[in-house]
Amino acid sequence: MSVDGTTLYVAPRSARAEPLDASAARPEQSGLSRRLLRIVVGLVVVGVVGQSFVVVQARPEDLITGVHGMVDLLSRAMPPAWSESGDILWPSLETIDLAIFGTVFGVLMALPLAVMAAANVTPARPLYFLARGVIALTRAVPDLVWALLFVTAVGLGPFPGALALSVHSIGMLGRLFSEVIEDMDFGPVEALTLTGASRLQVFTHAVVPGVLPSLLGISLYRFDENLRSSLVLGFVGAGGIGFRLLTAMNLFQYQTVSLLLLATFVLVMAAERGSALLRRQVA
Amino acid sequence: MSATLAEPARGAETRLAVRGLRMRYPNGKLALDGVDLTVRAGELVTILGSNGSGKTTLLRCVARLLDPSDGEVLVAGEDLAKLNGNALREARLALAMVFQRANLVRRRSVLANVVGGTLGRRRTLWTALGGLPAEELPLARELLSKVGVERLGGQRADTLSGGQAQRVAIARALAQRPKLILADEPVASLDPEAAEEIMRLLRALAEESRLAVLCVLHQPALALRYSHRVVGLRDGVVAFDLPADRDADLHIALLYKEMAA
Ligand SMILES: Nc1ncnc2c1ncn2[C@@H]1O[C@H](COP(=O)(O)OP(=O)(O)OP(=O)(O)O)[C@@H](O)[C@H]1O
Ligand SMILES: [Mg+2]
Repeated sequence: MSVDGTTLYVAPRSARAEPLDASAARPEQSGLSRRLLRIVVGLVVVGVVGQSFVVVQARPEDLITGVHGMVDLLSRAMPPAWSESGDILWPSLETIDLAIFGTVFGVLMALPLAVMAAANVTPARPLYFLARGVIALTRAVPDLVWALLFVTAVGLGPFPGALALSVHSIGMLGRLFSEVIEDMDFGPVEALTLTGASRLQVFTHAVVPGVLPSLLGISLYRFDENLRSSLVLGFVGAGGIGFRLLTAMNLFQYQTVSLLLLATFVLVMAAERGSALLRRQVA
Repeated sequence: MSATLAEPARGAETRLAVRGLRMRYPNGKLALDGVDLTVRAGELVTILGSNGSGKTTLLRCVARLLDPSDGEVLVAGEDLAKLNGNALREARLALAMVFQRANLVRRRSVLANVVGGTLGRRRTLWTALGGLPAEELPLARELLSKVGVERLGGQRADTLSGGQAQRVAIARALAQRPKLILADEPVASLDPEAAEEIMRLLRALAEESRLAVLCVLHQPALALRYSHRVVGLRDGVVAFDLPADRDADLHIALLYKEMAA
């Protein structure tokens, strides 16, 4: 650094040989207290797990005698009712469409909310708190509860399920989207602003390429989650495969049940693989 | 080596004139306290100064990324400190900035990044919607070869090395056809050889393309070797403003020594 002959920089101070961990200075004492701590932690863990057994009324012996019932159930569920394959196409489509609807409307509503809820770009403080509040509420209430509310409001069928997924997705997506916006790199935004570009040009040329891949990735992941949720929503009367599963159970049609479970498995795996594949494409 | 530097013509056009520039941050910190500075066409001027002396604040005030509290910033004759909205946008066409981190749009190609520099001149519906002005592609290719990375045009910007990215950033700045280039520590993250090359490039832009270049550096040796003038900044005040020769050497040593004391 002294190319020109003058020393302009102070040499780095030599690293001081001081122990980083203060407890290392007193080995015997810390060894004893550490052993005591370990025993206490061990007892607490045992206590916590033990009380959970009592509270859930765990009865291992019932599980053992129950094996027999399970085997019986399985034998009655085999083989799956292949002949009904045609009948489950419609509920499967319903389940997929619930997830599509829920994700698309969730994304559309979450985008403006996320802009308001991102501390670095929010247009106004009151909007920031309002948006944060909406996101927290829609997120904290599970989609199953939203579905119960919407079934009461608009009646049985896939529509309340789609609404429930949308509303819950708003919260889940809104939070992740606003985090992406808050973590955005402002360097390119400044650089393009200084070329004399308009606000819209800066948005389309710097902001969008900066955040779009993350937003797409998050949305695809949400679709995957929504598909799994939509299966459960059927149990409260919100359409799709879940609803068929519930009916088949109530009517003791176990061969139909096994077919439906198989279809569920295929759908979930396909959605998981598909969304992972697409996410890799946009990364 | 400084003795061989060609003195830019005395009568050359003034591209940047800063007068009585003061900047007080909202927290009360007075980062610039009456800075005067001139940069002419064909001139490379370097600002030196220890951490916190106000170098970045000065460049950001000149570019109006910050609103100065007081003073004038004349870029090609226009007082940027007084302009707003569309007039500010128009006036900014004359200046381009190169940052320490190249600040390229990471997921776009190198060529697209360079063409991005022309957006201020090409304000059409197509470019507003995210399209690139195809008519600027030849210019972008020409500039990429000028900065020595013509082969990288198709590569994504986030696959470049630090030195390559900085060259692309300079090409983007040139695509704007600016009259003044501001550079804040453009070589801070580069290896010594790459740093020399970037400085050589900036120097050539000043002398051959008659641009005015104002550059912040932390390497006095590079400053003395490549610039026409060095300006020392200390606590928001200009401590010296000298031609880059032996004399400056001593002042620079003093500038840093006082801070260490
Ligand atoms: N946003 C801000 N708010 C308040 N004070 C600031 C802000 N930015 C910078 N400062 C202060 O202004 C002074 C000048 O900072 P500036 O970043 O211009 O220094 P610099 O010369 O570029 O330093 P460096 O060599 O570390 O880059 C410093 O004391 C800094 O703490
Ligand atoms: Mg700085």
